[in-house]
Amino acid sequence: MTSSLLHPLELLLAVEENVVREKAASSAISIGEKMDDDDYQLEFVGMISRLATKEWFTARISACVLIPGAFPRMSSSSSSSSSSSGIVYNDGIGGMRMAHIAHFANLCRDDAPMVRRIASRNLGPLLETVVETIGPSCLDTGGVVSTTLLDLYEYLAGGDQPDSVRLHIAQNCVHLGQAMTRVKGSLDGAGEEGLVLPGREGENTLTRINVIVRRVLPLIVATIDDRSWRVRWTAASKFALVAHAFSKLDGSMDELVPAYEKLLQDPEAEVRTAATYNFSEVAKTGAMVYPPGWTGGVLGGDGGRVGYSDARRIPVALRLVQRVAQLTEDDSENVRAALAMVATDLAQVLGRDATLTHLLPPMLLLLRDSTSEVRLNIISSLSLLNDVIGTELLTQSLLPAILDLADDGKWRIRLSVIERIPLLAKQLGKEFFTDRLLTLCVGWLGDDISSIREAAAKNLKDIAALLGSEWSVQNLLPRVKQVMEHQSYLRRMNAVRALSLMATVMDTHTAQWEILPMLLEMHCDPVPNVRFNVAKGLGMIGPMLQTSYEGQILPILTLMMEDPDRDVRYFATQANDTLRAFFDKLNKN
Amino acid sequence: MVAEQSQSSTATAASSQSQLSHDFEQYLAKLTQGTPLSESEVQHLCNKARETLTLEANVQPVSAPVTVCGDIHGQWHDLMELYRIGGSAPDTNYLFMGDYVDRGYYSVETVSLLVCLKVRYPERVHILRGNHESRQITQVYGFYDECVRKYGSANVWKIFTDLFDYFPLTAVVENQIFCLHGGLSPSIDSLDHIRQLDRVQEVPHEGPMCDLLWSDPDDRTGWGISPRGAGFTFGQDVSEQFNQRNGLTLVARAHQLVMEGYNWSHDKNVVTIFSAPNYCYRCGNQAAIMEVDDNDKSKPTFLQFDPAPRRGEPHVNRRTPDYFL
Repeated sequence: MTSSLLHPLELLLAVEENVVREKAASSAISIGEKMDDDDYQLEFVGMISRLATKEWFTARISACVLIPGAFPRMSSSSSSSSSSSGIVYNDGIGGMRMAHIAHFANLCRDDAPMVRRIASRNLGPLLETVVETIGPSCLDTGGVVSTTLLDLYEYLAGGDQPDSVRLHIAQNCVHLGQAMTRVKGSLDGAGEEGLVLPGREGENTLTRINVIVRRVLPLIVATIDDRSWRVRWTAASKFALVAHAFSKLDGSMDELVPAYEKLLQDPEAEVRTAATYNFSEVAKTGAMVYPPGWTGGVLGGDGGRVGYSDARRIPVALRLVQRVAQLTEDDSENVRAALAMVATDLAQVLGRDATLTHLLPPMLLLLRDSTSEVRLNIISSLSLLNDVIGTELLTQSLLPAILDLADDGKWRIRLSVIERIPLLAKQLGKEFFTDRLLTLCVGWLGDDISSIREAAAKNLKDIAALLGSEWSVQNLLPRVKQVMEHQSYLRRMNAVRALSLMATVMDTHTAQWEILPMLLEMHCDPVPNVRFNVAKGLGMIGPMLQTSYEGQILPILTLMMEDPDRDVRYFATQANDTLRAFFDKLNKN
Repeated sequence: MVAEQSQSSTATAASSQSQLSHDFEQYLAKLTQGTPLSESEVQHLCNKARETLTLEANVQPVSAPVTVCGDIHGQWHDLMELYRIGGSAPDTNYLFMGDYVDRGYYSVETVSLLVCLKVRYPERVHILRGNHESRQITQVYGFYDECVRKYGSANVWKIFTDLFDYFPLTAVVENQIFCLHGGLSPSIDSLDHIRQLDRVQEVPHEGPMCDLLWSDPDDRTGWGISPRGAGFTFGQDVSEQFNQRNGLTLVARAHQLVMEGYNWSHDKNVVTIFSAPNYCYRCGNQAAIMEVDDNDKSKPTFLQFDPAPRRGEPHVNRRTPDYFL
């Protein structure tokens, strides 16, 4: 039954339109999953073979897409195969698997660049599947990885390929690195569990992994100098993945980190920006590398393992952080914005001392950058610095810079500043806060931008919680009262919002005798929006004021439930229903 | 508003009313996350919207305070930014002057959201018709294709374009500020004239209804032929005369891209408001909205804003050369 469904799909897998082929491929794959093994060999794998050798290139593109996923279920015994490729692998791979590796190799060498491009995109996934399916034996000198797949890696990275083909080198290397790391991990795991050393077999595999990695690293390093900026850009934007894939493979980072540093200085701003976005992720790999300028040698051969525990090595983060200062001076604002977004992330890996010496000074520079986006990015990520160097130190060095930004023309910067205020208030203490920041905080209540006004209201709640009811009654309420008389309904409404929020963190007495009367007074505002926000506010603070419900809150809500405006009626009814339900439940218990 | 005499209605009607509110609040929750409604939900929404919009006038009276907005053009992310700037409905009152669909990639989400707000909060949100709220135009500039792509058929497009016929053509804020999408018409002298039009139809190719949605103000006096092929251009003399005759202080309209987001013309008799920042994702313009306050209606406040940052995307802002626009 299922096989008859494959036939129309086989036709669709060869049509011109990309989207149709893609859908057909995913349909074919889900049909394949339902087929039993015999049918799969005969029908599904048979279909791939036919597609791979079709005259028209679109069919061959579909074959590139299907081969990696189908590889594990293909038969490997030579009896069922009619391979004519003449290659014999010493890892016991044969049958359909061997035939399709041969097909794939042909597709990588296809005359049509469109086919090579898709083959190139699928080479990495195929390699990962092959290693997963066959296990460490495929890494042998005569195995499929060394004899065929790595050749394809090198072939598709060749300078005579179009850049759309070379574009996939970086991602393919990620797949290879992951596959090797996994094999290596399984050896280590086995060693620990069995309490025996990896043994001769394990040693051999490690050596082979090393040989393979040594063969692939130059391909990545070469992309850094590629003549096409698109290739360099792709490598730059994937560099965190590359670094993570190779970080556990001895000595790889000694070659990758200098390459990465070169990307950070690429002539194209786009490439530098993409590389910079990956900055902290590369640093976080935790690998050890030689400091810059070290010329001794692990390079070449398989000597990587020998020098790996060399005491002269330093963590990647410590090497890369020395690049930060230079990046803050980059001509492109996009590079600086990217740096500002990720650099504070380094603090965690660096620890307190290195952060203070290497990271803090350039971060202070970025806070005063001429581009607002840079300032915004750095301010929004400052909390990561907090955790490492401590708030006190941060406050001292940053307070002036932050105050500078409090009335920045860009509202998102003001927003970030507001979000930092509670933390600052905690550090600075009541007096200093009242002196320096209070006016600023209340001023934001009347900002032109709605998001700032709302953040300001929430900020006052946090401040009130921090500095206490008594302080708030003295310092905040008189100023909020002024905003309640503002001629703009949006400001008055925000004062109502701020009052309600503040009441929730005050002691009951203050909420009842200071705030509630102010709130109730607003129920006869001429603008309905203000009135229904009074209703919302009463619903919010009512639960803590049971004694005032019957006498003060209910009469006003009842009045509002008869309001000429339907929205006021709606929100008043809703607030009253909520409060009634709350008190009913409370009284029952 | 007839539908709103709920106090005298029966308990069942009241409960079905609250069921409806509940439905639409769920739709709003979805739409503010950017998730489109299902086809049946769109049908349900538009049925209710037709009931609401039928009751509105060709010159819908709107009370201050209100925030007046221009073209949105399917830029859903920037509509969300507009709410961050102006406040969210129903806390802030809004009047949108048309062109919700076409050009941008999220026309479906944008128009669904605005219609849903209108239905849920008819007193707080007002929506007018723009020249893009039309069967013909949407087939060329993207809304039709987007509907077919997102729903697999043209049904949703049909439901919405049928609803567009009911959108009011113009509004007047506190009898002072006349708001509409395009501009004035040589065949219209007074607001009463507009009130007499039969608006429930596809936007015609010519005539007063077409002009209201297509015309532009111009530096030359009198009436001129519009380069758009529909509507007219009108001069300062025309605007002054119209405002004076109808006791108005200002004509607020949208329809034209202005780099600062708003633009005064005709000696402050006309203001153009455009609320799609970086229009078509490449024009590099600012957007603006106009806040008309309850106390000082003659001095509106303009708020300008930039496109919403798209998180994680490195935005490489190379200015597009003019010849691409």
